[in-house]
Amino acid sequence: MITYIIRRVIGAVLMLLVVSVVTFAIFFLVPRIAGATPEAFASRYVGRTASQETIQLMAQRLGFNDPLAVQYGRFIKGVVVGSEYDTGTSVEKCPAPCFGYSFITQQPVWPDLLDRSRVTLSLAVGAAVIWVIAGVSTGVLSALKRGSFFDRSAMGIALAGVSLPIFFTGMISLVFFSYNLGWTVPGGTYVDLTVDPLQWAYSLLLPWITLAFLFAAGYARLTRAGMLEAMNEDYIRTARAKGLPERTVVVRHGLRAALTPIVTIFGLDFGLLLGGAVLTESTYSLNGLGKYAVDAITNNDLPKVLGVTLFAAAFVVVANLLVDLLYAVVDPRVRLS
Amino acid sequence: MSRRSILATAALGTVLALGLAACGGGGAAPTPGQTGAASAGAAAKDEFNASIDKIWNPSDKKGGILKLANNGTWDSLDPGNTYYGYSFNFIRLYGRALLMFKPAPGKDGNTLVPDLAESLGETTDGGKTWTYKLRKGVKYEDGTEVTSKDVAYAVARSFDKKVHPSGPSYLNELLDWPKDYKGAYESKDADISSAITTPDDQTIVFHLKQAFGSFDYIVQMPMTMPVPKDKDTGSKYQEHVISTGPYMFDKNEIGKSFTLKRNPNWDAALDPNRPALPDGYEVALNVNADDIDNRIISGDLHVAVAGTGMQTAALSRVLPDPALKARADNPSLQRLWYTSVIPDVKPLDNVDCRKAIQWAADRTGLQQAYGGELSGGEIATGMIPPMLAGYKKISTYETPGSKGDEAKAKAALTACGQPNGFETNISYRAERPAEKAAAEALQQSLGKVGIKLTLKPFPQGDYFQLYAGRPAYVKENNIGLAINGWGSDYPETFGYLQAIVDSRTIREAGNYNLSIKMPEVDKLIDSIKGEADEAKRTEMWAQIDQLIMDQAVTLPGVYAKSLLMRGKGVTNAFISDSQQMYDYVALGVQQ
Amino acid sequence: MTAPLDVSGSAGEAAPEAVLEGASGKAIVGRSLGQIAWMRLKRDKVAMGGAFIVVFLILVAVFAPVIVAMFGHPPLDFNQDQIDPATLAPKGAYGGMSTEFLFGVEPLNGRDLFSRVVYGARISLLIAFLATLLSVVIGTIMGVMAGFFGGWADTVIGRTMDVFLAFPLLVFAIALAGVVPDKAFGLSGDALRIALLVFIIGFFNWPYIGRIVRGQTLSLREREFVDAARSLGARGPYIIFRELLPNLMAPILIYATLLIPSNILFEAALSFLGVGVKPPTPTWGGMLADAVRFYTIPHFTIVPGLAIFVTVLAFNLFGDGLRDAIDPRSR
Repeated sequence: MITYIIRRVIGAVLMLLVVSVVTFAIFFLVPRIAGATPEAFASRYVGRTASQETIQLMAQRLGFNDPLAVQYGRFIKGVVVGSEYDTGTSVEKCPAPCFGYSFITQQPVWPDLLDRSRVTLSLAVGAAVIWVIAGVSTGVLSALKRGSFFDRSAMGIALAGVSLPIFFTGMISLVFFSYNLGWTVPGGTYVDLTVDPLQWAYSLLLPWITLAFLFAAGYARLTRAGMLEAMNEDYIRTARAKGLPERTVVVRHGLRAALTPIVTIFGLDFGLLLGGAVLTESTYSLNGLGKYAVDAITNNDLPKVLGVTLFAAAFVVVANLLVDLLYAVVDPRVRLS
Repeated sequence: MSRRSILATAALGTVLALGLAACGGGGAAPTPGQTGAASAGAAAKDEFNASIDKIWNPSDKKGGILKLANNGTWDSLDPGNTYYGYSFNFIRLYGRALLMFKPAPGKDGNTLVPDLAESLGETTDGGKTWTYKLRKGVKYEDGTEVTSKDVAYAVARSFDKKVHPSGPSYLNELLDWPKDYKGAYESKDADISSAITTPDDQTIVFHLKQAFGSFDYIVQMPMTMPVPKDKDTGSKYQEHVISTGPYMFDKNEIGKSFTLKRNPNWDAALDPNRPALPDGYEVALNVNADDIDNRIISGDLHVAVAGTGMQTAALSRVLPDPALKARADNPSLQRLWYTSVIPDVKPLDNVDCRKAIQWAADRTGLQQAYGGELSGGEIATGMIPPMLAGYKKISTYETPGSKGDEAKAKAALTACGQPNGFETNISYRAERPAEKAAAEALQQSLGKVGIKLTLKPFPQGDYFQLYAGRPAYVKENNIGLAINGWGSDYPETFGYLQAIVDSRTIREAGNYNLSIKMPEVDKLIDSIKGEADEAKRTEMWAQIDQLIMDQAVTLPGVYAKSLLMRGKGVTNAFISDSQQMYDYVALGVQQ
Repeated sequence: MTAPLDVSGSAGEAAPEAVLEGASGKAIVGRSLGQIAWMRLKRDKVAMGGAFIVVFLILVAVFAPVIVAMFGHPPLDFNQDQIDPATLAPKGAYGGMSTEFLFGVEPLNGRDLFSRVVYGARISLLIAFLATLLSVVIGTIMGVMAGFFGGWADTVIGRTMDVFLAFPLLVFAIALAGVVPDKAFGLSGDALRIALLVFIIGFFNWPYIGRIVRGQTLSLREREFVDAARSLGARGPYIIFRELLPNLMAPILIYATLLIPSNILFEAALSFLGVGVKPPTPTWGGMLADAVRFYTIPHFTIVPGLAIFVTVLAFNLFGDGLRDAIDPRSR
C-alpha cells in the first residue's frame, strides 16, 4: 500500500512537470517559432508610449533574453524552493511555492490562486452536492421503475441536460430569473462564505443549479445503467432469496455496486471543476480560477497562466489519486499493487 | 485605453428587482445601508445632459460614502505607474500633483490651476527651464511636511520603467537626465541636477533638453505627486500610497477592492480646488460591466469609475425610457476612432484606390458599429476632434446621408486601374467588439464596389508591437486597412496629433502612426513648433487635417462620445472637458 | 422487478429477439450482428427521430447556399434598415422576426439570423465530424497498441492518456488557439482555423476513445479466435487488422457517435470564448458570444442556443439508440 502511494505520488509529480513543460512551450516556444523576439514579449508589459530602450530593459528584467530552458528552470525553482523579487526599493522573498509575480500587476500569483480558489471551491462543492443527490436519486428511481413514465421523462430531461451548453443555459437563466423576474442576483455577485453564509448561498444559487443540471443529467444516466446491471447480478438474487427486505437489497447491494463507477467519474469531474469552471465562471462573471485563467490568457500574463494551469492540473491529479485509493476501500476486489 | 479582456464583455449582469435589491445588492460592495439611494432625485430635476456645461444638483454638504465600481482594474494605483484617463481623474483624491485641471464644468474645466504649487510654471528662457514654488504647510497623511525633494524623488523613481512600466514617459524624454541614468532605484546616488534641481524645500526647477511650451500640461500628471523616499516600496507602493490629498487608503486589496477615508492631515485651507464632500469612497474592481450599468440604474452604485460609458445592452433599456434617459449624460471625448489606410500596401499606393475606399465607406454603418450616435459618437470627417484647436468639418468625401457613393467609388477604382475592385486585409483588436463590428461594416460596404476585405483580428496586447504597428509585418501580410483609435492626454492639438501624423515618429515596431508619411505634413509640424501666434497654429493644424484627407490615408470613423449615467443620489455632478467624464474631485453624495 | 429471471423485461425491450423467434415460420436465416442491431435500431422510434434530425441537419449544412437563397438573405449582408440607430436593437418585435427574416435579425447590423444559423451548421458539423475522426484514428491506434502489446507500450500510452486527462482542457485549448499565427502550414483564413480547431478538439479527446479501445483489445486478445490465428502462425499486423479491428468496429462506432455531440459543444465553447473560426464567418458559439452584449434582446441568444441544443440532442438520441441496439446490456 505504502509503496503504491509513493509510486503514485511520484507519478503525479512527473505528470505535473509534463503539464508545466507543455504550458511553457505553448506560451514561449510557439511564439518564438512564429518569430517573436524577446523584445516582442516584453513589449506587452510596458506602457503605451514606451521607447525601444524601455522595452529592452523590460525584456532583461523579465528574463526573456535567457534561453528557454533557463527561463523554465527559474520557474520550477521558484515553485520548489521559492524565489526573490526586486521591487525596486528592496528585494522581496517569495516563499515556496512561488508561482512568480504577474507581469502586469506585479502582484505575486500564489495568493491570487488561493483567493480565487475560494470562489471556485464554493461553486464546485455546492453544485456537486446538488448534482450527486439529484443525479443519483433520479438514476436509482428510474432504474427501479424502468419503462415507467417517470423513467422516460427523467431520462428525456437528462438527455436534454447533457445537450445544453452551459453558456447558453447560464445566459438564459440570468436573463429570465435575474433580469426579468428578479428572483436571484445578477452575474458577478459573489459574497464570501465567511462574510455571510446566507448571502453566499444566495449569490451562488443560480450558478449551482445550472452547473448541477448539466452534471446531474449525466449522473442520472450513469446511475440508472449501473443499477440496472447490478440488479441483474447473482448476488442480488441471493440477497433476495435470503429474504432481505427490498430496501436493503437495493441500497446495500445494488446501489453500492452501481456507485463504484460513479465515484471514479465524480473524482475526475470534481477535480476538473476545481481547476476552474471556465464557462460557468465566465457566464456568471464569477472571479474564480477559470475566469482567472481566461483573463490571464487574454492579457498574456504568463506567470498567471502557468500558475493556474499547474494549480488546476494538480487538482485533477490529486483527485485521481484519491479516487484510486478510495476504490480500494469501496470495492474489496480491487487490490493495489 | 482600458485593457478590456475578451471576457470582460463576455459575461452577463442583470438588474435586481426592487424587492430583492437590499439583500442581493450588497455582493461586490457590502455596505451598511443604501447610502443616498433612498432620497435620490429629491433635490434636482433629472434631465438629459444635465451635467454637461453645468453642475447638476450642486451641493456643499459633506458626508456619505460614494460607491464606485470598475469593470477592470487600475493599471496601478501608484502615481508613478498609471496612465488611464480615469485614474488621472480619480488619483487627485489621494494625491496632489504640482498643477491640476480646474474642477469645473465644460470648457472651464480645461484650464490648469496650481495644486501643490502656488502658481503655474514660470519660465524665463522660452520654455527650457520651468520653476514651480510649492505651497507651504502641505502634509502627508502621517503629518510630515511635503518638500520639493519629494517631488523630485517621485519624478526620479517614475523614470525607472522596469519597476513602473505603465506610467507616461513624457518626463523621461523631456528632461535633461544624465547619461546612463537608470532612475532613483538603480542610480541611487546619481547627480540629477542636470534634470531637476531643488534650490530649497519649496522650489523645484525642471531643466529640459529643449524648449517645450506645454510643460504645465505634463506636470499636472500624477508623476509629480510627491512620494516620501523612506516610505517608497517600489512596485509594492501601490498597496499603500502615502496620501497628500483629502483622502487616504483605508483597505486595499489589489485587483478586488479598496476604500478611501478622510485624511486628517489634509488642510482645506491649503487646497482651494477640492470640496472633499463624501466621507469616504468604496471602489469594487473587476465587476462585470453590464452589472455595473444595472446597479447604477437601480441606485445600488453611484459611478462607473472607468467612465467609458454604458454597455451596448443598456442602450435599449435606457434610451426608450424617458426617466432613465433623463439621468444620462452624453459627453464628447477627445478621442477619434478611425481606420488607417496604409499606402505601403498595393494597390493602396495609388491615391485613387484610397479614395475609392473613402467614397465606398458607409459612414453611418460605421457609426452604428461604434455604438451609434450616442454611445459611439459623431461621424468624423477628419483627424482632429471638435474639442481641439484646428478642428474643421471636412467635406471632401461628403455623400448623401453619409452612406457612401458607389458611383464615385467605382470611378475612383477605374482611375486607379482596378475597375473591378481589389482584395486586401483589415486588422482590428480581437478583444474589442466595436472594432470587430467596424471591420465587418467596412467589409460590407466596401464589398459593394468590389473591394474585398478579409478580417484579421489580433490580440490587443500585441496589436501595435507585433502586427498593425510593425511596417514589415503590414507589408508582408497585406494589411491594407487597420482599425485604430487615438485619444489625447491633454487638450492640446500638438500633443494629440503629432504622435499619429508625424512620419518621423515611425519606428521598426510599436507605431501608432500606421499610414501617414507625408513630407508636407512634417514640414507644417515644424513650422507650428516655431509659430508663436495661436491663431496661425490653429490654421496650420486645419491645413494638416485637410492634406491628410486629400491623400485619403485615413478613414475617420467617429469623434467618440460616451453615454454616462448619474448614480442615484449623487450631488455636484458635472463633466469637465479635461476629464470627459464626471469630475471625481467634485462629486458628492446625498445623505 | 419481480422475477429475477425476467430476461424479457418490458415488452419493447427484447422485441428484436422476439421478432427473430416469432418469425419462425420462415427458415431461420443466420443474421449478422449488424443486421440484428439494425433491426433493433429501426424499432427505436426516439433514436430514429434523432437520426432523422441528424440527416436533416447534414442536408441543411450541405445545401446551406440553396436554402439561404430561397428563404433568407446572404449571411454576411447588413440590413441596417431593420435596426434602430440609437439603441442598435432590431426595429420589429421579437427581434425583428417576420416572413422576410424568419428568425429575426442580429442587433447592430441587421444580419439575417436564419441564414447565419444555417451557415453556422456547416462549421459546427464539419469541425465536429473531422475532430471525431481524428480522435478515433489516434485513439484506435494508441488503444490497440497499448492493449495488444501491453507491457512497456501500455505503460507509456496509459501515462500519456493520464496526462491528457489531467490537462485543464479548455484553458489549454484557448491558449493554443490564441498563440497560433495567422498563417501556417500553407493554410490561412477559415481553413487554417478549422484545421486548428479540428486538431485541438480531436487531439485532446483521443484518450476517451483510446481507453475504450485498449480495454476491448485487452479482452479480445485473450479470446480463442486470436489464439487460433496465432497458433496458425499469424503475426501481429495480421491479427490486428484482420482479427481485432473488425471486432472493435462496433464499440468505436458507438463512442464516435457519442463523441460528435460533445465535440459540437466543445467547438461552440471555443467559439464562445473567442478563439473559434474568425468573424464574420457565422458560428453558433460566436453568435452566442456576440449575443452577450445584447442580452436585453433575448432572441439573439435563443436562436443560436437552440440550434446547438437541437443538434447535440439529436446526435445524443441517435448515439444512445445505436449503443442500445449494438450492445443491449447497456440499456
